[in-house]
Amino acid sequence: MAAPVVEAEARAANRPPVRERKNGRFSVHFAHYKWLYLLLLPGVVYFAVFRYAPMYGVSIAFKDYVPFLGVNGSPWVGVQNFTDFFANPDFPRLLGNTLILAFLNLGIAFPLTIVLALLLNEVRLSVLKRTVQTLVYIPHFLSWTIVASLSFLLFALDIGPLFQFLNNVMGTNIDFLSDPAWFRPLIVLQDIWKNTGWGTIIFLAALATVDQDQYEAAIIDGAGRFRRVWHITLPAIRSTIIVMLILAIGQMLNTGFEQIYLMTNALNREVADVFDTYVYFVGITQGAYSYSTAVGLFKSLVGIVLIFGTNWLAKRFNQSGLF
Amino acid sequence: MIRRKLSLAAAVVTAAALSLTACSGGDAPAADLTSVSIMAPFLEAQPPGADGAVQKKLEEITGKQVKINWAPNASYEDKTNITLAGSDIPQVMVIQGKSPGFVKNAQAGAFWDLTGKLDKYPNLKTTYPDIQQNASVNGKVYGIFRGRAPMRTAVMFRQDWLDKLGLQPPKTVEDLYKVAKAFTEQDPDGNGKNDTYGITIPKWGALGSNSPYDVIEEWFGAGNRWTERDGKLVPSFETDEFLQADRFIKKMVDEKLINPDFATFDSTKWNEPFFNGKGGIIVDVDSRVSVLINLFKQADPNNFQNKVGFVGNLEGPDGKLHAHPTDGYSGFLAVPKASVRTEAELDKVLEFLNTLNGKDAGILLNNGIEGVNFTVVDGKAAPVKPETDASKAVTTDIKSYAQLGMNVAGNQFYPVKQASDYEQQVFDKRTDVMAEDLKSAVYNPAAPYVSATYVAKGAQLDNIVADARIKYLAGQIDEQGLKDAIKLWNTSGGDKVKEEINKLWQDNK
Repeated sequence: MAAPVVEAEARAANRPPVRERKNGRFSVHFAHYKWLYLLLLPGVVYFAVFRYAPMYGVSIAFKDYVPFLGVNGSPWVGVQNFTDFFANPDFPRLLGNTLILAFLNLGIAFPLTIVLALLLNEVRLSVLKRTVQTLVYIPHFLSWTIVASLSFLLFALDIGPLFQFLNNVMGTNIDFLSDPAWFRPLIVLQDIWKNTGWGTIIFLAALATVDQDQYEAAIIDGAGRFRRVWHITLPAIRSTIIVMLILAIGQMLNTGFEQIYLMTNALNREVADVFDTYVYFVGITQGAYSYSTAVGLFKSLVGIVLIFGTNWLAKRFNQSGLF
Repeated sequence: MIRRKLSLAAAVVTAAALSLTACSGGDAPAADLTSVSIMAPFLEAQPPGADGAVQKKLEEITGKQVKINWAPNASYEDKTNITLAGSDIPQVMVIQGKSPGFVKNAQAGAFWDLTGKLDKYPNLKTTYPDIQQNASVNGKVYGIFRGRAPMRTAVMFRQDWLDKLGLQPPKTVEDLYKVAKAFTEQDPDGNGKNDTYGITIPKWGALGSNSPYDVIEEWFGAGNRWTERDGKLVPSFETDEFLQADRFIKKMVDEKLINPDFATFDSTKWNEPFFNGKGGIIVDVDSRVSVLINLFKQADPNNFQNKVGFVGNLEGPDGKLHAHPTDGYSGFLAVPKASVRTEAELDKVLEFLNTLNGKDAGILLNNGIEGVNFTVVDGKAAPVKPETDASKAVTTDIKSYAQLGMNVAGNQFYPVKQASDYEQQVFDKRTDVMAEDLKSAVYNPAAPYVSATYVAKGAQLDNIVADARIKYLAGQIDEQGLKDAIKLWNTSGGDKVKEEINKLWQDNK
């Protein structure tokens, strides 16, 4: 409906056609902001070259890729790789393992980060607060190889200090490193030990912006510490929590290849195999590039759905979303 | 992971673009080969430098500039696949085995088919056609195999413990059980504590990987990976002997004659319990005997004899010796078509490999440089003492350069003279025992055959049984569970593997 009207208007006023006029405006706009656009250029080039161009390689998920034949030379196979994967008896197991680990991390490690940030925020002695903060950051800088080696030492059968301590306390004789039932607790514990401290940084930054007057007012009203945390602190950092949650959910299926790969052995493989280790095992070590690309692509799709889903939910509940 | 894959894809894309430009350069006539590029694994902490004495001597012997791209052994397979996807492909590649990635590339035409081409090069014509057949892909020779002694299986034990308890070296698997039990229960180290066990087994589960499990199963008569039953080839794990052998191992696990952390124990620490007097027996390749002796020698140079004893393969419960050999090769040297384009160029490369496989190069790659790090005494290579910086450098470098050796017509170099009479005796005894066991070797009848289904999902399939085996031994599942896993192997695609292997076997008979 709008187009004819505009055209009529244009004819009547004998002005140039609409499109040109818009272009004209854009070029004025562009000329005006050209330095800002120039500033944008490196970023655009970066994403085009290093993020978007390589996605061309994703096409091997629909091919029977042989390195020697190249991406173009390998024959198309349609969705064969995907149907193979979904029909594979490994599929439900991988999906289950990945999701369980993801939810354990999200349900335990993520809230712990907030709790730790709140606790640190309540420390009044700033020397103590800074020391503790630095100490809890340190594990983040250790590689997973070191964390895994430490675990092997601590939980070594018969001689590891934690092996002895825990088994004495519980009156058991559990080999934590190979018992499938202990694989997930071990992984989550490692994750908490390594990343909780580091994760508090953003929350602490958000906590620093909370209006101090509100606390004073609450104290005058007779609110205790927990009331203050519940009614002032948490609502104040709610949007930060939501944003971090959306980001965490987007990363949820990236269960940490190195960590799990290092902790896997023949006895716990049943619960340890996740998409990431499977892609490595099948793709890189067995040379099944197409198949593993299909698996990786599927994982990415699930990740995208999760991000958009959470974002949509957040908006529905009247919170600001990520985008 | 995704990011890594995308950057791999980026590399692939760039590579494709580069190879297009390379193609447009036209076909240059096969000029005389002045340099040869080789990709090879290194097993030391550092790869050899590009200007070492060995490198110079190698270029002198071959008359070519030799460019070796050393890749770490641990990630060599990854590196091979990535190199083949790239543009900078060497003229010769050391391939470590018939991995699915290699087979796929080879069948797509990535490597020259050398079947029948090698006989006109005197040093490449093999005197072991069976092993060349084993190293082939369904009869097609895609590379010059790197020969290895086929018989290497040995049982090594603490000789001092055996003497103290007044026992004889094991001859049969039943003896092995008795020795292991005595080592566990009769306080062989005499410290009054119950702190020893019989056999140490590390984390080593894959099927057909010459693991202690594979070896014991073969001793029981389960065959070597595949075995002929009623005119058909079946996987070893479908035999009764396989179950018998695993029951036998499980009994030892249950009675604590084997280290309880066998599923997770780090294989790089395999020697430690033996040396420290915790676990008294190791089942592995015979070269470990010398490694163990050396450990004791370093700790106490005056009193290291009679610490390590060994025997070869053990008789099974049927009273027969089914000795466990390897396939007799450790990968091969293949020539990619992308870098060597014409038959004429291939001929030049093969001539180079012919020289590399000759006596001069053989001695250089395996012994080193005469007069620098070794001298010839009684037809044996004796290390130069005391060591100099130059000799040390050569000795270190050849540990990597030996990876280029093929020795398809027997070893062209000197055997190493051992440091002392005792060690020389042990070495000679090893040679004799292995030669004797070789006569009873039971080979893998399916070694040359590669089934399409196995290439596609063999490793996942084998994991089903391999993991079940460890779980059964650890007591996580019972024998029925192990049998169920074998059934699952069949229904998940193993049936097809069997069918294809049998067809290939029948066709090539």
